[in-house]
Amino acid sequence: MQLSNRNKGRIGATLCLVTANLFSTTGLVQAQEVQNAFDEPATNGPGNIIMDGAVMYYRENNSRIQAIEPMASYTDYADNGDIFSIKLTADSLSGASPFGATPWIAPQNFLSPTSVTISGDDGSTGASGGVVVTDPVTQMKILQTTAKANELPLNPGFQDTRGAANLSYTKALASRTRVTFNLNGSIERDYQSYSGGASIAQDFNNKTTTISVGVNYQHDLSKRLYGTPTPFAVMTGVFTDGTKSENIVSATAGITQVITRNWLVQLNYSYERATGYQNNPYKVISVLDPVTGAPQRYLYEARPDKRTRNAVYIGSKLAVGSFVTNLSARYYHDSWGINSITANASEHIPIGTRGYIEPGVRYYHQSSADFFNYFLLSNAALPQFASADNRLDKFNAITASIKGGYMLNDQIELYAMADYYSQTKAGTKGLLPGNNGSLNLFAGVKAISVMTGVKYRF
Amino acid sequence: MTTIAKPLKYQFKAMNSPCEVQFDCNDAALAGELGRLAEAEAARIETKYSRYKEDSLLSRVNRSNGRPVPVDTEMMALLTYADNCYRLSEGLFDITSGVLRRIWRFDGSNKVPEDHEIAALLPLIGWDRVVLGPDNITLAPGMEIDFGGLGKEYAVDRVLMMLAAKTDVRILVNFGGDLRVSGPRNDGSPWRISIESVEENRKTEGMIAISSGALTTSGDARRFLLRDGVRYGHILNPLTGRPVMGAPRSVTIAAPTCLEAGIMSTLAMAKGRDAEEFLRDEKLAAWVLR
Repeated sequence: MQLSNRNKGRIGATLCLVTANLFSTTGLVQAQEVQNAFDEPATNGPGNIIMDGAVMYYRENNSRIQAIEPMASYTDYADNGDIFSIKLTADSLSGASPFGATPWIAPQNFLSPTSVTISGDDGSTGASGGVVVTDPVTQMKILQTTAKANELPLNPGFQDTRGAANLSYTKALASRTRVTFNLNGSIERDYQSYSGGASIAQDFNNKTTTISVGVNYQHDLSKRLYGTPTPFAVMTGVFTDGTKSENIVSATAGITQVITRNWLVQLNYSYERATGYQNNPYKVISVLDPVTGAPQRYLYEARPDKRTRNAVYIGSKLAVGSFVTNLSARYYHDSWGINSITANASEHIPIGTRGYIEPGVRYYHQSSADFFNYFLLSNAALPQFASADNRLDKFNAITASIKGGYMLNDQIELYAMADYYSQTKAGTKGLLPGNNGSLNLFAGVKAISVMTGVKYRF
Repeated sequence: MTTIAKPLKYQFKAMNSPCEVQFDCNDAALAGELGRLAEAEAARIETKYSRYKEDSLLSRVNRSNGRPVPVDTEMMALLTYADNCYRLSEGLFDITSGVLRRIWRFDGSNKVPEDHEIAALLPLIGWDRVVLGPDNITLAPGMEIDFGGLGKEYAVDRVLMMLAAKTDVRILVNFGGDLRVSGPRNDGSPWRISIESVEENRKTEGMIAISSGALTTSGDARRFLLRDGVRYGHILNPLTGRPVMGAPRSVTIAAPTCLEAGIMSTLAMAKGRDAEEFLRDEKLAAWVLR
């Protein structure tokens, strides 16, 4: 009459889940008192239609990029378990951003192509703070901008709008099987991205275990105005390469396990393989005098045309009454040599019966890409690949965030979010040759973003 | 100090047991209305799942003689639940074991079945021999299932949840000693439940106070066989076809739902001498009488 040790002390916990499932299947939920309107996300149940509208504002420090992003979504949770959703997003970006050039103790001039027409031969002020000149050989219009001494050069007058659409359809094949298809498109003036994917999720053990697998294909087009620069081309403002493309295939696999009625854990793995054009057509790397550190010329960056990414994610969600603790960690490795870890913690705290706040903190660390360099030296041979993109640098980042929501009534939810993001250099500080220790090569950002929105349930 | 008013009681008989619903209020109309609802739900469950009623869905399954029988969502959910209990208990909870009642009659006599009688029945026992389709069940000829170990508990849970969805009045649902409350009484005090004595000469064994959840008791000291000085209690092990030796006289368990309490008290009894250790490992609030 021995129960094996496998189940020792665990029978009651499992029975609890199985019992809850029995009553939900037979049309009765446990008569637990709802203490907070966010305890039961009944708004995501079958038979609901949710409209969601929100606006996000993002701003980097030192008047770099700022963005305004309105979003709208429509989600139909059908009675038979199917889910259809459409989401539209628009972005309006403006401001200046670092583009790879190192700072110098004297002003630096940069040349990039432009369409601004000028009258007269001596040039005139361009729309974006630079000066438009005409190349004497090609007669092409070139925008000349000047970076101040001792400051990190920024790409001025950056302005773009983006529109994106996302369609998703989930079909319940059986009570324990769901397939999801999604299509995404994103278009801006100089970049387009299209992707499509499918995934399948299967529940086991009375829906306490869910295993899912998915595949996705993405096709990106980089079409910088007036052509795309050839890797390591000198920044003259004249280049003629046309539209470049990149293909990305990815696969994901995940398992979600309900441990007790109030605790679930999740493990995901993803693999991604990108081939094709992966340079940023706006990024350069400075070539410096090996003794003084003075910039001699600027070359467009050169990245490998293949990149393989692997990531493992583990997350835990624990509910105690109306409080929910979320913890997660992610490890990432790619074939460019970047390894990163992300740790995330947040606490959902009920406020009264209709509201909640959710403070959260995230830590991120990444190592630099193998070919990342702040600069190249003029007396050395060109490497195979080089980039000074600050996103490939070694850095730490902290995000502090707070979210909140309030249910006005059974149909309307107001919500808002604010976060502060700060990057700091990790590892050895970059130094220019010569006696220029005061120049800061790290181009990391600090940014705030705020968002507010309203959800309406029909 | 005012004395706490006694709850209103609505009583009826179902599933061979005295049943009652107590309402902690003095609204007799409400108690009557909800009481009738409770009675109707108990009758519905009994009609559908009783092994004694020939036209019940369960009897149709038991008469199927090897053919698949379509079942509805509720019965499929209960069969899936029984399947889970079977696997969790590694065979100790088995709704196919009822056929053992044909040879084991715990009437206080010395009529212990012969080995060959037990051996003849064992091939008819074993939930793992039952084929459960997406919406049907197939039993081998001669096999039977019954919801003896979970039907009444399911009824208590369902009635309590149904009524609690309709009223904020605190209620206690008690079907033959399997009970569940919807919360503490109106004044915040717990409901006081007496545990029936297993001794014939004592009426109650003690009081248990509960403010939430369910309470069930397994064990019946009047049902046993006695032969050659050996006492055979009425808890049968489906794996051996014989009574569990050394089982407590009764086990009372508190759990969030009546079903959980009922299954766990049945399992504790089936553990025999190890009942207390099992209950400790599971960290259950339990009262064991030996």
